[in-house]
Amino acid sequence: EVEETLKRIQSHKGVIGTMVVNAEGIPIRTTLDNSTTVQYAGLLHQLTMKAKSTVRDIDPQNDLTFLRIRSKKHEIMVAPDKEYLLIVIQNPCE
Amino acid sequence: MHRPSGRHCDQYKNGGACFTRLNFRSRRRVGLRSRKSCQTASIATAEVSTQARRHADAQVQTETLEPGAVAPMSRHDGPRLAAFLRKVEAMVIRELNKNWQSHAFDGFEVNWTEPQQTVSCLHTLCYPPAQGQGLHVTGISWNSTGSVLACAYGRLDDGDWSTLKSYVCTWNLDRRGLNPQQPSVVVEVPSAVMCLAFHPTQPSHIAGGLYSGEVLVWDMSRSEDPLLWRTGLTEDAHTDPVYQVLWLPEPQHSHRFQVLSVSTDGKVLLWQGGGAGQLQLTKGFALLMQQLPRSTRLKKPPRGETEVGVTAVAFSSFDSSLFVLGTEGGFPLKCSLAAEAAAMTRMPSSVPLRAPVQFTFSPHGGPVYSVSCSPFHRNLFLSAGTDGHIHLYSMLQAQPLTSLQLSHKYLFAVRWSPVRPLVFAAASGGGDVQLVDLQKSSQKPTVSITQTQDGSPVYCLEFNSQQTQLLAAGDAKGMVKVWQLSTAFTEQGPRETEDLDQLEAQVAT
Repeated sequence: EVEETLKRIQSHKGVIGTMVVNAEGIPIRTTLDNSTTVQYAGLLHQLTMKAKSTVRDIDPQNDLTFLRIRSKKHEIMVAPDKEYLLIVIQNPCE
Repeated sequence: MHRPSGRHCDQYKNGGACFTRLNFRSRRRVGLRSRKSCQTASIATAEVSTQARRHADAQVQTETLEPGAVAPMSRHDGPRLAAFLRKVEAMVIRELNKNWQSHAFDGFEVNWTEPQQTVSCLHTLCYPPAQGQGLHVTGISWNSTGSVLACAYGRLDDGDWSTLKSYVCTWNLDRRGLNPQQPSVVVEVPSAVMCLAFHPTQPSHIAGGLYSGEVLVWDMSRSEDPLLWRTGLTEDAHTDPVYQVLWLPEPQHSHRFQVLSVSTDGKVLLWQGGGAGQLQLTKGFALLMQQLPRSTRLKKPPRGETEVGVTAVAFSSFDSSLFVLGTEGGFPLKCSLAAEAAAMTRMPSSVPLRAPVQFTFSPHGGPVYSVSCSPFHRNLFLSAGTDGHIHLYSMLQAQPLTSLQLSHKYLFAVRWSPVRPLVFAAASGGGDVQLVDLQKSSQKPTVSITQTQDGSPVYCLEFNSQQTQLLAAGDAKGMVKVWQLSTAFTEQGPRETEDLDQLEAQVAT
């Protein structure tokens, strides 16, 4: 069931890669190669933690629900949770 | 029982000793009889067990995880992972859909650096003693850090075995107080240097090919004697001028490098730095007309010459054993390092020479002086010939995909841009550097930079792969100019790699 959900997300239009990272920043599932996955997992985990603490510092009643980073080449989407992070990289149509 | 007569008898217990106080009067002196008893205090006993502790010394150390190693994906957290994914899936799919249809960012571009509108000349470097001898700049190279530029002086139009001394000069462009007329290092070389190549990882090692056929390697950081290795004028060495040298990683140890040299005597040789400053030949290839695959019709060579003179070499950035040669006959050749067939040549050599050619492309109207393989597409390469044309070839077919006439004079060098997949630069015999952007126009150059005022040719050019806005070009007046390109030439647009693929597919059909 986990695999089906991930496959559904991966087969969406423009999606380059999908990965699930646990609370320590260790990748659990991925569709990309090892070295890229490790790089994305480490960096995005840190960035998500920073974003979450920024939101909480501004308003302690608030919390981070979604993080999107748009770059020249693609868009990285992070759905955070207490235990996991879902990272999806999409190449949007220009 | 005879009790001592007396009133009482006290007994005192005292830790084992006993006193009995006898109070008695004896009536008759019969005999003193006393009864004593003693008792020890109860012995305190306790049961205790002991054990000798054994000590052992042990050290623990964590091993740093290799950067590539990923902990094995655990399959245990099934239910919690499934619950998490169920929760976020809807949100993620909604965002993906919105993104796909969104026009919010169309045409939105961020400028992180100051945009540069035009091409400008940053430095004009020269070495007056070499200019005084009328030497041309025949080769330039940027080092691995992108801060040092080296140039080689020689002459490209000499027909005879000259004993002209020439120079290899380097300038460190990042240093303050750069004097454009005074190079930081000058090496005198007994023969004209035709080409240069800096080592890909060692910032101070540089290889050069000479007019005499020798290949030398210098270490620019040594001030007394910079010469590290040389081939010497042995049987193995080239007998004709060496037109291009390259550094290649060794097949087993990819951090060590070998030198590849090509020359018009038809040989492509691979050298390894050995002991005693001698370059040892590790592999050799010889090109002969009769061994070329007949993919295209070629003119019969004059005077029964069988060797194919090689004037340029470029390696594919995707396949490290595949390389393209430019020849005097004007036809590029596709070759492989892994070729096994023996070359039918009578040239003496310590290592068996092999025939590397796999495919022959259709020729230019004159000798090809430069080839360059695209760093972004595995099948595309450019060749520049003395007919003034640039041909864009695909490895898969013999006819060029497109052909551009850039000049009415010779073209001496062509290089793909290291950042923009559709841009390349060419050095022409008319004294300008032409920059072509295939996205804007595939018929004429986008920018034409005049290097020399009197139209003397520009012989060589190189992009700086670390500081991608810099382009260096050397000309026949002995000057090296470093051009700073406008932002249009250094920033990759969003879909350029796809556009390059499309161009190749479009033109090939």
